[in-house]
Amino acid sequence: MDRTLENFITVLRRSGVRVSVSETMDAVRAVSLSGYEDRRMIKDFLAASLAKSQPEKLIFETCFDHFFSIADLNGSNGLSKERPETPAEPLSAPLTRMLLSGSGGGLALAFSEAAAGAGVKDIQYPHQRGVYMQKLLQMLGMNGLNEDIQRQAARGGSDAAALAKTLESMRDDLIRSARDLVDRQLELYASKRSEEMLERMLNNTNLSSLEERDMIRMQVIVQKMVKRLKDRYSRRPKTARRGQLDLKKTMRRNIRYGGVPFDPEWKSRKMDRPEVVVLCDVSRSVSNVVRFLLLILYSLNEVISKIRSFAFCTNLVEVSAFFERYPVHEAISKILSGDGLDIILRKTDYGRSLADFRERHADSLSRKTTVVILGDARSNFGNSRVDILRYISERSKRLIWLNPEAPLLWGLGDSEMRKYLPYCTLARECSTIHHLELVVGSLLRR
Amino acid sequence: METWSGFDNPEGVRKGLQNVGYIASDRIANTVYLASHLAKPILVEGPAGVGKTELAKATAAFMGVPLIRLQCYEGLDESKALYEWKYGKQLLYTQLLKDKLDRIVQGEMDLSESIEKLHQYDDIFFSPRFLEPRPLLKALQQKQGAVLLVDEVDKSDDEFEAFLLEILSDFQVSIPEIGTIEATSVPFVFLTSNNTRELSEALQRRCLHLYISFPDERLEREIVRTRVPDITEKLNRQLVAFINKVRQLDIRKLPSVSETIDWARTLVLLHADNLDREMVKRTLNTFLKTQQDIQVAESRLDALTEQTVREVG
Repeated sequence: MDRTLENFITVLRRSGVRVSVSETMDAVRAVSLSGYEDRRMIKDFLAASLAKSQPEKLIFETCFDHFFSIADLNGSNGLSKERPETPAEPLSAPLTRMLLSGSGGGLALAFSEAAAGAGVKDIQYPHQRGVYMQKLLQMLGMNGLNEDIQRQAARGGSDAAALAKTLESMRDDLIRSARDLVDRQLELYASKRSEEMLERMLNNTNLSSLEERDMIRMQVIVQKMVKRLKDRYSRRPKTARRGQLDLKKTMRRNIRYGGVPFDPEWKSRKMDRPEVVVLCDVSRSVSNVVRFLLLILYSLNEVISKIRSFAFCTNLVEVSAFFERYPVHEAISKILSGDGLDIILRKTDYGRSLADFRERHADSLSRKTTVVILGDARSNFGNSRVDILRYISERSKRLIWLNPEAPLLWGLGDSEMRKYLPYCTLARECSTIHHLELVVGSLLRR
Repeated sequence: METWSGFDNPEGVRKGLQNVGYIASDRIANTVYLASHLAKPILVEGPAGVGKTELAKATAAFMGVPLIRLQCYEGLDESKALYEWKYGKQLLYTQLLKDKLDRIVQGEMDLSESIEKLHQYDDIFFSPRFLEPRPLLKALQQKQGAVLLVDEVDKSDDEFEAFLLEILSDFQVSIPEIGTIEATSVPFVFLTSNNTRELSEALQRRCLHLYISFPDERLEREIVRTRVPDITEKLNRQLVAFINKVRQLDIRKLPSVSETIDWARTLVLLHADNLDREMVKRTLNTFLKTQQDIQVAESRLDALTEQTVREVG
């Protein structure tokens, strides 16, 4: 397999396009069909055989343009500018001779050899740029060029001075090209790796201390996670109820055999998708966690059959309608700001909120529902109304409590968590994206 | 398939498709060309109505082979997609041949001997004669090749997708009673998807991928010209420009290329040679299909028509 293609596939993989071995083989055959002459054809061919979805196509486009602009360095980089007249004295360094002879092709070749020798491909972090540039220039023979320039300058005379000047400007061009090359390599080979590092870090950052500038990146992470969860839970396995004959189906199916039960049909049951009721504390202390929980749950519409959401602070209101009317992001920010809601955003009152729920929305509970409550259970020393939580717990399939505080703090001060705990099927600390993933995973696992 | 003369180069593919009335972009022509040489299926994605299904039809017409179409839907299974036994025929034959069968087993003393005797005649009732081929099997059996279109594969179940894999990679199917049937000549396969769900990676890996988006204005004009030859050049320019403006609006269902063509036909029937506000208003429902969308467009109608006429002239 030729090197260019191999390198290109490496670049694609590092940028997040999954390329399998069989796809690589397709690409090789495609290239052998087209050759490298027609840029558009090779682009279409590679796009068809390597990038298999719309997002991957976009990544492919950028990678292709970056990658093949480096390969295009050959002779078209402005390095071979106007040539000075032949020098009076033979110049020793090969690089100097190459520059003066104006052979763009030779220079480009030297460039790519030097880049390979310096191992520019291994660059990982932006701060390594300097090191790799030095290495690259050294491999190129910059020292010889510098000596030549000095020698010319020292010799004196207008001819020599002019020559030294031209050489200097050529050297500057050369350095600029080297910097460009290293920059592009960095973008190609390293962006993905530093991205991964950042992602790992953000995964375990406390959501309440998340900074505004990380928000967008965070949403990307959430999207990835949603996709992972969807992939894992979107299949609905049928479980056969062993030994139970489905009489109706068997009769229908065996009509073709003249009613002789030849081909029995057994009773089976499709796994239900969970129905979810979410109660979110929207006071400031937990708002970030709420934002991401809602984002995740509403993005999972394929694996969750029904979802109703409620927001509470001093009192409780239903907010499901917002998600029908607005896109998810907009709905969430509207809810968190309390825009157009009958919600009172003063002291958090769990007792009153739970009472509101029982009074007005008890119909949302059924044998199938999973109730998720997200809040720190700090009720400002009001009545905790544990009896209602028990009522909810008894009328639903599961009750999951997510608390952004660490378990050590549960029950301290005005936290009612210890009192609520006995009625929760599951109570978890939930302050990072990683926690959220675990919790949502257990929600979907039936 | 490789020997097909029209597939000598991408330009030939483009011309061939054009001859049967399909205006292909370079990307489409290149991908079809590549697929023909790698003998791989093409997975075509893109918004509704950009001509995904049409591409398969055009390719079939261009190659001069039959198009065999399998429309996917939830609950589609092997018996509807691959083959089924002709139960009625089997029953009928056993009834008709009752005497014959009686004669064969005549004189045998006990059951096992009769069965032994019957076995000499092999599985006569489970032979290809009693097999009802469904689209997939039919496509494999075509002697001169075929274009197989698996339409809207995203609508089918995961199980069916998995089942497609064998056919797409080896072009063969296994029938338990008969054995493995291999393709007499490899069909050209198109799969289309509207992205209602993500397809499995295994399927993606076996296919080449082609994304068709809305064509640019130049290409769309060419498409309209080919499909509606009676249209004047001026109207064509205005109409395509207008549709492209509508696609920028915040509407639910973007007008597709086929709807552009419908609209062009409508306008030609109404003897229009110029877009004006009244005409647009009356015919808006040919390319906008929900009341909400129509309202959105109507509220901006003056600005849109004016802009279009000003820009295009």
